[in-house]
Amino acid sequence: MTGDRTTVLELTRMEAAHLAGLVAQFEELIQGADDGTPDDPAIARLVPDGYTDDREAAEEFRGLTQRDLLDLRESDAARVLATLHETPGLPEEGSVTDPSDEALLEVMQLRLDPEDLQAWLRTIAALRLVLASRLGIKTEDDHDGDDPRFGIYDWLGFRLDGLVRAADEMF
Amino acid sequence: MISAMLESETSERVDLDSQHTTARPWQAVVWNDPVNLMSYVVHVFREYFGYSRPEAERLMLAVHNAGHAVVAEGPREQMELHVHAMHDYGLWATVRKAPE
Repeated sequence: MTGDRTTVLELTRMEAAHLAGLVAQFEELIQGADDGTPDDPAIARLVPDGYTDDREAAEEFRGLTQRDLLDLRESDAARVLATLHETPGLPEEGSVTDPSDEALLEVMQLRLDPEDLQAWLRTIAALRLVLASRLGIKTEDDHDGDDPRFGIYDWLGFRLDGLVRAADEMF
Repeated sequence: MISAMLESETSERVDLDSQHTTARPWQAVVWNDPVNLMSYVVHVFREYFGYSRPEAERLMLAVHNAGHAVVAEGPREQMELHVHAMHDYGLWATVRKAPE
């Protein structure tokens, strides 16, 4: 039974190392957020106003939901990091210095149970929101091919799309 | 007899009308953003609301093309739960009273 509910995600060791680095930064960012209305637009995007036409209701909604949402982002990120670290082959932190190292192109097979998959989907979606905020993406046409961070943003989109398709097969 | 029947019918209609105004439903609205993938938004609408793929795709396209779409209607508390869930997925959503 459990066999068919597992999603296998293939990432090169280099991709996995980059993702582990990004998710660790993301986790740190979330841990630094408190319960007030966020000043950081990237955090604000993860806990948006629940009402646009009623200040008081928006405050109350924030009081009821923000801590829960931030805790969920943190536990999801921890789960993603756990999958990455439990899978054999993840390069040690800081060891990915030579991109031409062929060993980094070896493929890792990450096995995600349904709960892992949920955490992965939400974490990558949230990571893209944070990155988009840092890159100043305001419309779908905002793209700077010379900025390597857009490459990371696109790559996360590609991986998220693959995971969405895997998740949709379970319906 | 006939007059009484008419009276009762009229008062019933008045009741229905006043009920309609006081019970103007609340809505959960999802707003367009330039980041979330179309496939992801469809996935969320199917998984969370249990919408069929065509219905989820119709709603996603409405969000995309019109800038927003009403994804659910009902009591305020329930709409707040939906919006909380949408935020958990990373979608931009708000609660509002149905426009008159």
